[in-house]
Amino acid sequence: MKDSSWIRAMFEEGEKMKKIHGPGNILDFTLGNPVVEPPDHLKEELVRLVSSDTAGMHRYMTNSGYEDVRTEIAEYHRERTGLRFTKDHIVMTVGSAGGMNVVLKSLLDPGSEVIVLSPFFVEFKFYIENHGGIMKLVETTEDFHLDIDKIEKTITRRTKAIIVNSPNNPTGVVYGQEELMELSALLHKRREKGQRIFFLADEAYRKILYDGITLPDVFGIYEDTITVTSHSKDLALPGERIGYIAASPRIINLKPLMDAMIFSNRILGFINAPALMQRLVGKFQRNSVDVLEYQKKRDVLYNILVEAGLSVVKPMGAFYIFPRSPITDDVAFVRQLQKHRILAVPGVGFGTPGHFRLAYCIPMDVIERSRQYFLELGLKISR
Amino acid sequence: MAFLLKGEPMIVSRQIEKLIADQEGWTRRMFEEGLKIKKLYGEENVYDFSLGNPDTEPPETLQRMLVDTLASPVKGMHRYMTNSGYEEVRLDIAEYLREIYGLPFTASHVFMTNGAAGGLNILLKVMLNRKDEVIAPSPFFWEFKNYVNNHGGTLKAVQSKDDFQLDIDRIADAINPRTRAVLINSPNNPTGAVYSEKSVTDLVALLNHKRSEGQDIYLIADDAYRKLVYDGTGLPNLFASYDLTCSINSHSKDLALPGERIGYIAISPRLPDSDLLISGLMITQRTLGFVNAPALFQRVVSKFQRTSVDIAEYQRKRDILYDALVEGGFDCVKPRGAFYMFPRSPVADELKFIRALQQDERIMVVPGRGFGKKGYFRIAYCVPMSTIEKSIDGFIRIGKRFIKR
Repeated sequence: MKDSSWIRAMFEEGEKMKKIHGPGNILDFTLGNPVVEPPDHLKEELVRLVSSDTAGMHRYMTNSGYEDVRTEIAEYHRERTGLRFTKDHIVMTVGSAGGMNVVLKSLLDPGSEVIVLSPFFVEFKFYIENHGGIMKLVETTEDFHLDIDKIEKTITRRTKAIIVNSPNNPTGVVYGQEELMELSALLHKRREKGQRIFFLADEAYRKILYDGITLPDVFGIYEDTITVTSHSKDLALPGERIGYIAASPRIINLKPLMDAMIFSNRILGFINAPALMQRLVGKFQRNSVDVLEYQKKRDVLYNILVEAGLSVVKPMGAFYIFPRSPITDDVAFVRQLQKHRILAVPGVGFGTPGHFRLAYCIPMDVIERSRQYFLELGLKISR
Repeated sequence: MAFLLKGEPMIVSRQIEKLIADQEGWTRRMFEEGLKIKKLYGEENVYDFSLGNPDTEPPETLQRMLVDTLASPVKGMHRYMTNSGYEEVRLDIAEYLREIYGLPFTASHVFMTNGAAGGLNILLKVMLNRKDEVIAPSPFFWEFKNYVNNHGGTLKAVQSKDDFQLDIDRIADAINPRTRAVLINSPNNPTGAVYSEKSVTDLVALLNHKRSEGQDIYLIADDAYRKLVYDGTGLPNLFASYDLTCSINSHSKDLALPGERIGYIAISPRLPDSDLLISGLMITQRTLGFVNAPALFQRVVSKFQRTSVDIAEYQRKRDILYDALVEGGFDCVKPRGAFYMFPRSPVADELKFIRALQQDERIMVVPGRGFGKKGYFRIAYCVPMSTIEKSIDGFIRIGKRFIKR
């Protein structure tokens, strides 16, 4: 609870400051709550759906979600991966947070270990512990990529899964094909000894990629792969809580696992993903909000930070950037930023002190206005 | 390393595997037999009373509001909000709660949830420490057991009386220092019973007595069927009589929106340290993965607190079915609410009776053991009237085969 409270603590302090100085005078980089709206044709489809006379639109359906929706999503996955996805590989969920809880509940027994790569989205710790698991943190490299040796040293007989979040929150890093292949080789070594370790990919930011890069197909890289997807970011529907789990057709003995996930979806109290939104997103698998807009924001912010003399890894996806704090104490630094009316979250909130996170899913003018403050700060630091 | 001999190591959580094996055994068999029968005779020739999935549609005014809301979209209407839900929605609901309970509910006493199932899970996670106990009068909605287990607790089922009213002596016997909450569901699934003023007064007296001895036990009221009461039956006001009360509300039944997953927790304004409970809910709402109740339907339901689907229609269905079953010699407590009936099976092993209903009359019901009470069966009569009318002779025929005397 102490770790997780950072984002909220900063948010609450920000709210206070907004009251004092007026919201227009506060540059808030704390929350990953995009200001963009869902695509126009998605909004039109919503109106069409609720205006139709179809009976039973708001009733219960099977716990895994509507068959036709899962069929559409499976088709999209067949296209992307060349693997034989069917509706039976898909479970519709209450966003990716719901999906992660469902997968972990289905996999973990008390004492099972799950590897998480740091810096990390702190909620993962709660998701794991909710179901009796133990989180094992592994640091990434200086530039936030996979450190295969460290991962290897952390694997034990109790390791049940590794959570990989790419594009990453909080760093914006996208893992490359090669490092993922290395990870796959490592997991295969354990598999030969009879241990199945699941590759659990949190792909909430899957479609938010820059500079024309593509996301490596994790299903092609490793057999025991499960992805958790959300439409919070790509379709800008975070408040509606809609996403899904896709389990690889290459998983051997998959049926009991699918049954377990459908069962967990029920007993955890989700029952099913919200009905109306299921029908909606089935048709929008190939769509996304305007990623170029995010890329422009990334470019502007990245350049400001570099100009201010901060050390920062250039994000290739998501809408976060994770610069190194110029002083060791990241909390103290975030407080300094506050004095300049910039709100950020300290790295300690992501298990990595000495850094801070800026979420740039905010209006461009806020980013531009932050320039002078960051530059002033930069001058102070260099002095 | 015995598992290696089987070829592939276990991948599913053993706990979940065991739960599935324990619970889904007969349900699945029944379900699969049912599917076969539906295929054989055609869906329209099968009388399915097994699911609490009403065939009603949401009120027209609600459907119109849904269209209007989406046709003139407001900026930000699909974004995240605070984990407890929109403040203006909670204000609307608090006003309604003040009206019906006469207590000073404010927005902070209302917590928007993903239906009743979501509400119960986040509340139990806040309340329970490992091995804490939750008492539930039995027969009970089986999922309660799973919800309590999810968060390290143990559910203690306590038999109700023959008329399905609370057995206060048994509840008193079941309370021990680990008892953290009593979870009641009225109108009740599976019995349709509505707890009487006396049942509730006696329960509250017991809980207040425990409080005076230093043990605080929460009263959790699963109010999912609150608006579905017949014959003008009133529901006792728990909030007025017991300070440690939280009610779990759902709009699955009263507004016929089960697939949309929308409801709320109402927290007594008299609950001491309610701030702490609410902070806890903020965390469990997030960490269990709900994050917030679906945004669009929060806005919609806030305007329909005083609305309900047509209850007279359910009451007619109850009357026709109940009268026919009693006439046919079945022993059944008359339901006062919800859309369930829980007759005694004419044979002690209700599975025998149910199988005969299914195979010979194509009628599907749920065995009482699915609710912790063997020798009974549950009929969910939230089905078209024609289904009820066409099935009655079948119930009677199979009844006659088993009812002696």
